[in-house]
Amino acid sequence: MDESPAPDEHLARLMARAQQGDSNAYVTLLRAITPRVRQLVRARRGFLGESDVEDVVQEVLLSVHAVRATYDPARPLMPWLSAIVRHRLADAGRRHVRQGAHEMGVDDLDVTFQAPPANSREETFGDSDALAQAIQALPPGQRQAVELLKLRELSLKEASALTGMSIGALKIATHRAIATLRRALRASDER
Amino acid sequence: MRTDELIDRLGREVTVAQPLPAPGIRTAMWTVWAVSFLVVVAVMMFAVMSSIAVTATPLYLVQQSVALVTGIMAAHAALASVIPGTNNRVWVLPAIGAAVWCVSLLWGGAVDLQASGTLGVTRQSDWPCVVSMTVGGLVVGAPLIWMLRRGAPLTPGLTACLAALAALSFANIEACLTRPHAFALTVLLWHGGTVAAVAAICALTGRRWLRWPALRA
Repeated sequence: MDESPAPDEHLARLMARAQQGDSNAYVTLLRAITPRVRQLVRARRGFLGESDVEDVVQEVLLSVHAVRATYDPARPLMPWLSAIVRHRLADAGRRHVRQGAHEMGVDDLDVTFQAPPANSREETFGDSDALAQAIQALPPGQRQAVELLKLRELSLKEASALTGMSIGALKIATHRAIATLRRALRASDER
Repeated sequence: MRTDELIDRLGREVTVAQPLPAPGIRTAMWTVWAVSFLVVVAVMMFAVMSSIAVTATPLYLVQQSVALVTGIMAAHAALASVIPGTNNRVWVLPAIGAAVWCVSLLWGGAVDLQASGTLGVTRQSDWPCVVSMTVGGLVVGAPLIWMLRRGAPLTPGLTACLAALAALSFANIEACLTRPHAFALTVLLWHGGTVAAVAAICALTGRRWLRWPALRA
């Protein structure tokens, strides 16, 4: 009789293949566990917003990737995965409490006066073509930093994970890129 | 970044990751290193002084055996604590071992009191042992830290504390081999104090040196 394998056994087999470097098995595994991880995160941390839940899910996936060698293929996968989720949730909870202790909610306030002279030229800059050209002209490292941090709005940690650059290097690259862009746009504006 | 994009990215970057050996096997590997360290110290003592510095009474042998077993159990617990899904109470056996070691030293103190009428607490300071245990602990513990950093830092404080207990249990045996101690309570206060202080520092700072591995591009 042809029976499909039990889900956990199937996941364990996928992980065993992923440990041998099988990319397809790994992607299949990650896609299969993501809804479960999301469900676990939502169930245990009701206070997190939707974007926070997704942050924790991604953190769990990065952790699974980083410590996949600790999985013993002879054992079921879910207890191993649940332990990672539990501990990453605890980390997220600690972060949440820390931020809550140091941040204070305020009403939305106008950051500038309504009158046009009070607003700087940078804030009203509207030539998107010139901006795109200036970004393209940046050195590769700076361009990547701007694209990830400013355009795609990734966190420093996520950008660091993607590029392999340290957080400090990303900050420096972004700072230099912004300075270069400011000079380039000012020059194009004057022309 | 969307989760789907992250999954695709991780899929592209996956490489061979051989499963780590079981904690028992890794403990055995580390124990071989730690025992080798003790053998080298003992051989050097023989070479320099033609004898080791201690008289091996039955109580002394019990104390060192308990320290040895505690060190091995603590190393096993530390290595198990970096494997997701293992028992959360891995610390219980090493804690029992450490308690038995303390009791055996207290028992030694009672024997000293009977024999010489004093506990000897104020008679012998033991700073050389504090230094030698700290240095010995670093030598014995360095490979253990390297092994732990290959795992998942689920409870970094606890793991670091257990690693310190493991390394310093062996360093305690080394200090007892190289320097005679007239009173058991001196060992309890100075050696036990060193173990407690280093373990506490490691527990507090463990989160700094046991981190989730960074993803490389």
